[in-house]
Amino acid sequence: MLLSLLIFLPLFFAFVVALLPEKAIRPGALIMSLLHFALSCALFYRFDPHKVGLQLVERSPWVPTFGITYFVGIDGISFWLVMLSAFLTPIVVLGSWTAIAKNVRSFHICLFLLLTSTIGTFVAMDAVLFYVFFETSLIPMYFMVGVWGGANRLYATMKFFIYTMAGSLFMLIAIVALIFMTQDQFGQMSASILDFYKLQIPFVAGTVLNTQTLLFFAFALAFAIKVPMFPVHTWLPDAHVEAPTPGSVILAAIMLKMGTYGFMRFVIPMFPSATEYWAWLFMVLGVIGIVYGALVAMVQPDMKKLVAYSSVSHMGYVMLGLFALNIYGATGGLYQMLNHGVSTGALFLLVGMIYEKTHSRQIADYGGLARVAPIYSIAFLIVTFSSIAVPLTNGFVGEFLILLGSFQANPWLTAVAVTGVILGAVYMLWMVKRIFFGGDGKLIAEAHDDLDIGAREIFVLAPLVILIFWMGIFPNDFMNWSKASVNNLIDNRTHYVLSVEE
Amino acid sequence: MQIDFSFIDFMLVGPAVALFFFSCVPLLIKVLRGNVEQNSLATLIYAFLGIVAALGFTFTMMGTERTAFDGALVFDGISSFTTVIVLLITGVALTFMRDSFSTNSRQFTEAMFLTMNSAVGMLTVVWSNDLIITFVGIELFSLCLYILIAMSLEERVSKEAAFKYFILGSFASALMLYGISFIYGTVGSTYLPDLLQATPNLLATNRLFLLGFILLISGVAFKLAVFPFHSWAPDVYQGSPTPLTGFMATGVKAVVLAFFLRLVASQAFTVERFWPFVDVLQWLTVMTILVGNIGAFRQKSLKRMLAYSSVAHSGYIMIGIIAAGIGGASMLGASGVMFYILSYSIMTLGAFGVLHVLESRADSDLTVEDLKGLANEKPWTALSMTVLLVSLTGIPPTIGFFGKFFIFSAAIKQGLTWLAVWGVIGSVISVYYYLRPVVAMYMETPTLRRDTIGMRPLSYFAISFTAFLVLLVGLAAEPFYQVVLTSVAKVF
Repeated sequence: MLLSLLIFLPLFFAFVVALLPEKAIRPGALIMSLLHFALSCALFYRFDPHKVGLQLVERSPWVPTFGITYFVGIDGISFWLVMLSAFLTPIVVLGSWTAIAKNVRSFHICLFLLLTSTIGTFVAMDAVLFYVFFETSLIPMYFMVGVWGGANRLYATMKFFIYTMAGSLFMLIAIVALIFMTQDQFGQMSASILDFYKLQIPFVAGTVLNTQTLLFFAFALAFAIKVPMFPVHTWLPDAHVEAPTPGSVILAAIMLKMGTYGFMRFVIPMFPSATEYWAWLFMVLGVIGIVYGALVAMVQPDMKKLVAYSSVSHMGYVMLGLFALNIYGATGGLYQMLNHGVSTGALFLLVGMIYEKTHSRQIADYGGLARVAPIYSIAFLIVTFSSIAVPLTNGFVGEFLILLGSFQANPWLTAVAVTGVILGAVYMLWMVKRIFFGGDGKLIAEAHDDLDIGAREIFVLAPLVILIFWMGIFPNDFMNWSKASVNNLIDNRTHYVLSVEE
Repeated sequence: MQIDFSFIDFMLVGPAVALFFFSCVPLLIKVLRGNVEQNSLATLIYAFLGIVAALGFTFTMMGTERTAFDGALVFDGISSFTTVIVLLITGVALTFMRDSFSTNSRQFTEAMFLTMNSAVGMLTVVWSNDLIITFVGIELFSLCLYILIAMSLEERVSKEAAFKYFILGSFASALMLYGISFIYGTVGSTYLPDLLQATPNLLATNRLFLLGFILLISGVAFKLAVFPFHSWAPDVYQGSPTPLTGFMATGVKAVVLAFFLRLVASQAFTVERFWPFVDVLQWLTVMTILVGNIGAFRQKSLKRMLAYSSVAHSGYIMIGIIAAGIGGASMLGASGVMFYILSYSIMTLGAFGVLHVLESRADSDLTVEDLKGLANEKPWTALSMTVLLVSLTGIPPTIGFFGKFFIFSAAIKQGLTWLAVWGVIGSVISVYYYLRPVVAMYMETPTLRRDTIGMRPLSYFAISFTAFLVLLVGLAAEPFYQVVLTSVAKVF
């Protein structure tokens, strides 16, 4: 019952928001999202990290003719992603308190619909149900970018939608093919992911036109676009730059994770032979993404675009870690997903906060901001450290584990990837230098007094800053929850079985 | 010759009789009162009485699985399912028509009479068990539609559309009739069960029969606007009054597809001699999908856009038809097609309905520009339109998603994955033009002054009803799919 409640409570909240009086919308949404987060904290009591299988399972038929069920469950892989979604929503509501000026009601409806579809995506254990949530999440995000976005928002939102849809439709065909395969092999149609794991899918090394490779690429394409991996990343900078701050935060922190989560849930365990054979391709693309993203970020004059390209770079690390196919890489990859959610989410919030006050995102307009806005500067610096993986912050743990894992798999690629760490420090610190230090820039010179952030913004940032250190200093507090599942994924990758815990 | 029709026969054709009877009542009243147009609401109520009576007959006789009038008409699952769809379409379309500027003011009685009798023609096609009766039914509904289009108060393009439809429609009828004559010559009967039994054998041995069969399918393809017989659709759809466009885009397709399914049930596609033609049909399907989607991509007029999109949807349905055909007895393909008929009818009719309520004059031809900023002025209409367009794109959780899911499943099951891939490519192209109006409604500010439009409560209700159905069937597809499965079970 708990998981369904977590999925559909936000849907109910969306209806409530539709009926609330105009003034009560923001406080109401904040209270409801906090309620939802409190409810999701119940997972800490109900979820047993020592068990390998699926927990809190709910199952009922949906379209029995095709073996499609409403089947949700949670394991160590999805646990933190669900928590992250629930955790970020109140932060986004509070963070957008003043940033969203028009259509406040519709905005919060979109936000809650998005929460429903993201949590649904992470706990769906039926492939068609997963697809439904995966696709449905596009619609609120499409509106969020298109209605509340910047000047070029229409182009950006259309591009985002078409790219994602193009990938996922091929995944739909692959899902249908897998459903018929369950019929051939088990005598009964089933869309359950657990049954997909048991399928024997023929694989021929060295060719592309064999069943397992084709299915592998159909899924991989859908998720690679979502991650996004080089070379299908081009929708991301557009969408991020045009999206309103809350949209960027959710896009970066949660929706990109749907892609990497898809790799962990579908691609790696379902097509083990093809994964093994093609892992090099994804590692190479991941490394290209790391270096390319960093290089492009370095020359961006716009802070938001810089953060967007840094996302490409960071997600490259996640992919590198996952396709190293060993325990360090996978753990690091999963950890880096959360890190990226926290630190890039925080960066987008920070950029949004200063943009609200100065209406400029051009780095060149700033300079000497540290003197005028000390609290803001401290927060920004901490988040920057997390983003460039300074020890004691969460970024360090994730990147270190990923590089450790990928070194075992491929030392040469890792050597290239490590340059990304340096480049990351270069572009972030260079931006920090140009914004916060040096002589007073154009904006600061003519500045009005109060460029620093107020109590509300501190409330928004405090949980994220606390998490950055907590995750950096005591990583086991977090990793222990997903350890059993990740170990199971890597150790039994070739004959992966996920059972339902009673 | 002994003529002996049982009471049940008359019960079975009850829907057609009811429609005809109630369509005559307002016309008679109008004539008796000296040719004065009566209250249009009263006329509409008569029409609804007819439709409700027809639905009553249909549901009473549902599941009887028998033929009537010495086997001339057949009443099975496909018949009753399509009958219900046609009746619902007629009801919704008439509701729109009453409010439309291009149909309501002077001659709603006549328009209603012709629409109802067009529906009678459609029902005849659905029930027909004999090629000649099918032909009569097709002519009946086509003739009514020609007149209805020409009756439009809009003067500029409707006459052209009516004439074009008439000429090309006659051409298609001629093709079909020519094909039927060959079939009669070789089989010695136009009786459908005889034909279906003889088809596999004759296709393999008799060239004249092959020619006749191909001509018959060409006629059907014309009515479905399958490439290369699609070029009439955009002009005719644009020229017709919008509610009528919705009616013919959905009703005609539904009944012709039902007839096509009966032909396909002959297992013709499994005959080796016929395979080259099946290959051609597959390529035509791909072309239909591409032409429809790329054509729609380029349109300014929303009606033309929906016309091309209906061509594209014909392509998706053809995937299902081919899957049903080459599988020999593929339930999956046939049920996919039937489900798609349902889903296509609901969403297309709704979309044309939305265009219709936004029209402010008889000659309105809405473009994307006209929709700008609609979400602020008419939030409910904009929301309904969004739901319908999302469904047309095939995004869950809507009926359009499951329509495509079932069709693509059938194709993949029959080893036609490449057709499904083309369908997917088409769907990706369609995202752009289906979401373009959504962008305009929600994300752009109006540039043109919108004429104020009077309230049309019944039309709004009908639109909301279609949008509601789109979501309802999208969330609970299984019961509807079960109905479809049982309806095709006896034929396939």
